[in-house]
Amino acid sequence: MPYNIIVLIKVIPDLEQIKPNPTTGEIVTERTPLRLETLSENAIEAAVQLKEKYGGKVFGLIFGKPESAPMLKKAFAMGVDDGIVLTGYKGNNPVYTAEVLCGKIKGMQYDLIISGNQSADTYTGLLPGIISGKLGINLLGNALTIALEDRKIRVKSTLEKKIQNLSATLPAIVSVTQETNQPRLPPVMQIMAAGRKQIVTEAAQPQTMPGTVQISNRAPRSERKRQLYEKPEEGIAAVARAIKEEIR
Amino acid sequence: MIYLSSVLLLIGLLVAAASFLYTLYSLFWNAVKIPEKKIRMKISLPRRIYILIRNVVLQGKLFKDPSGGIMHALMFWGFVAFAGYSATFFVRGIDPSYELISPGIFKDIIFLTVDIFAIVVIVDVIYAVSRRWILKIPRYQGYNGFEAAFILLLISVLMVTYYVLGVLRMDGASAGIPGAIMEGIPPAFTPVTGFFASLFPAASGSGAVDLYWVLYSIHAIDFLTFLVYIPTSKHLHLVAAPLNVLLSKDTKPAQLTPIDFENQKRFGASDIRDFSWKDYLDFYSCTECGRCTFNCPAFLTGKTLSPRDIIWDLREVVIAQGSRARHSGIEEKDKILTPVIGDPISEEDLWSCTTCMACVEQCPVMIDHVEKIVDMRRSLVLNQGKAPKETIETYTNMENYGSPWVNDPSTRGDWAKDLGINVLSETQNDDFDILYWVGCVASYDRRNQDIAKSIVSILKKANVKFAILGSEEKCTGDPAKRTGNEYLAQNLATANIETLNRHRVHRVITGCPHCFNSLKNDYRAMGLEMEVIHHTEFINQLVSLGKLDLKSLESDEKEKFTYHDSCYLGRYNKIYEEPRTIIKAVTDNYEEMEMNKSKALCCGAGGGRLWMNETVGTKISHKRMEMADKINATTVVTACPYCMVMLDDARRVMGKEEKMHITDIAEFVASRLN
Repeated sequence: MPYNIIVLIKVIPDLEQIKPNPTTGEIVTERTPLRLETLSENAIEAAVQLKEKYGGKVFGLIFGKPESAPMLKKAFAMGVDDGIVLTGYKGNNPVYTAEVLCGKIKGMQYDLIISGNQSADTYTGLLPGIISGKLGINLLGNALTIALEDRKIRVKSTLEKKIQNLSATLPAIVSVTQETNQPRLPPVMQIMAAGRKQIVTEAAQPQTMPGTVQISNRAPRSERKRQLYEKPEEGIAAVARAIKEEIR
Repeated sequence: MIYLSSVLLLIGLLVAAASFLYTLYSLFWNAVKIPEKKIRMKISLPRRIYILIRNVVLQGKLFKDPSGGIMHALMFWGFVAFAGYSATFFVRGIDPSYELISPGIFKDIIFLTVDIFAIVVIVDVIYAVSRRWILKIPRYQGYNGFEAAFILLLISVLMVTYYVLGVLRMDGASAGIPGAIMEGIPPAFTPVTGFFASLFPAASGSGAVDLYWVLYSIHAIDFLTFLVYIPTSKHLHLVAAPLNVLLSKDTKPAQLTPIDFENQKRFGASDIRDFSWKDYLDFYSCTECGRCTFNCPAFLTGKTLSPRDIIWDLREVVIAQGSRARHSGIEEKDKILTPVIGDPISEEDLWSCTTCMACVEQCPVMIDHVEKIVDMRRSLVLNQGKAPKETIETYTNMENYGSPWVNDPSTRGDWAKDLGINVLSETQNDDFDILYWVGCVASYDRRNQDIAKSIVSILKKANVKFAILGSEEKCTGDPAKRTGNEYLAQNLATANIETLNRHRVHRVITGCPHCFNSLKNDYRAMGLEMEVIHHTEFINQLVSLGKLDLKSLESDEKEKFTYHDSCYLGRYNKIYEEPRTIIKAVTDNYEEMEMNKSKALCCGAGGGRLWMNETVGTKISHKRMEMADKINATTVVTACPYCMVMLDDARRVMGKEEKMHITDIAEFVASRLN
């Protein structure tokens, strides 16, 4: 049977291109190029694979900034059918993010929500859990495989040292890991079709952010000695000496 | 008067010619009706005639393998000599009163040539048999043994019966037989036949006449069998190969056919309709000689890729599906034309190709294997989003960072900090004569940054006013293009062309043959006109103009140098001599490795392979290092950052760090500047 799947897509500043302000140490992200969070790509892939297997539709939901719009096009190219960009993201606050997302999701028909199990910019890993609580649906975390049957979902979930089989009734929320799948390279026809699609944006509700507020975000100072050893044997000896001194 | 022999010969000829022409019609009509890929060609007649004479009449490319080349050339020239004889045989046989060639010295000379070449061909057949079945030349083994044996039998029977008929003619057995040919040719013009006649007692009487008719019949049936057999076997190349050479690509080497993403619906080659008519002619021209495969670096190191099999497999699919597809509607055609990737051509083989062009270089009938392989990669990447995992990551990096690696693009020019050079992304100062295009590898790879610095020191020493783009430079798109991601390659090229135009760049020097080939050939095809020079050419010019003065180092006395050819510099752009001239200007201690210049073994990095794992067989770079080791080279000079990465890694892994150095030609020169 066909399923309506919502995939939560996070857009983050490209971490490779983030630079701290050299005097204040404050992270400057204003002009940093944006990219799809890697785990969101896994989430999209998982959702599209389920659609291809069982039928249905995939809806992509981004909570970000207006500049996130091209990332939704990338999701379309990968096989997401429809989507929206909720604007007004004000920084890392999973409680607020969950509130905004759930506000939107409550008004939608859905069977399954899929997201990454965390994101590389904040690493809180809280969002799937909070959404599960706010919507009152089951959370099946760290899924390696996902199978659907009527109103049931079965998931092989990976924990640090074991794999467990979980099952729940739909609707549910599933979080995926990097091991879940290999995100596809979109075929050119789909890239071009996605390029022609209109992107719908909507201001996030509620507007005000509750709870904790980020006061500052500074990079730790690192003092590099910038010593270069051309010969491996000298370099290895120097590294060993440095580690020994540190242990002492 | 009508003779029974004439009637039988005419019927035989009509049947054989009808079979020959119908098979050809079917094959060539496949090539007209099925292909949907459009290609453009220039007429450039003088060049085509030159290539035809060089490679067909003189059999030029065959001599890249001299022992096989001489065998084929003698057979070919023998057949050409035999053509006049064959025509006379049938014309006289059918109408004994008609003389195709008027008697006289011209006719006598033709038959003299035939008489000499017939024995040459017999000896050549024995040579061919011994090569395939006694010496067991590896590239023939397992391929078309029956076809080869059958055709050699037909040829030898034709030649032997020619001589026996000649001997009987000399004995007078054919006197008065209507349609007997070579009557009236003076014995001096058939010396070999004369020699054979002298070995045997003269035949006479009705027995001799009967023998004449038996041999005449065998001779005629042999001819006609040959005619029927040609288009159904690998000997189709007798017809297809000269055409293929005449119509060979007139573009720069390995320039891939561009894709119009706005208007095309099918990308790359999925089934046989996605090739061009010229590709079909390539398939028909293949003789399975195996020169391509036995020069393929992937095959030579134990991978399953065989360019010969790719061409032959595609030919078989064309023959199997062609005529059915021609006679069917669009929907039915979709069912008949099955994808060629998967079966018979494996994805693994397509990804094993380094696009080094050794196969294309070697092919005597000018087949382009590499474009077909890239076209099939295009189908995988652009239609199905399929590529090796590492390649997909490379695409993501090229998209996000403008380089195949994860590198912050704002740091691209960091290697040049403190060198006091004009970095355009920072200065926007367009007052320069030449742009140094650094490339991704030299920008980010620690070892290759030394090469970039050497190029800078050479340019400074020669007082060249130059600049680099810094963070405005992006990957040229070569790794994307050669792995089939034409879409990404075109996006990167468009961005770079915009940058180059904005800075009004008219001259570029680059140290990377892959960037060089992209800028010089691929970008030019996209409308960018500028002079592109590789650093080997530029340094060679500077040395010959006296702008650089080189000295020998004391250590040069004890060294042995060799040069490893980059495929994209050598086979793609025919730059072989410049780097060698530079090295030899400094030292006499130079020796070539086996497989050099146009036959050079690839390092294994081209065609996007630098970013893929090489897990099957021996590593190509290791095989190359073994070749350097075999001549006891102490320094291998390269002129390509890809080769540097591969060979330097091979040197370390193989434990040859103490014994052997890898150096770029720029470093070689920079350390010897006076």
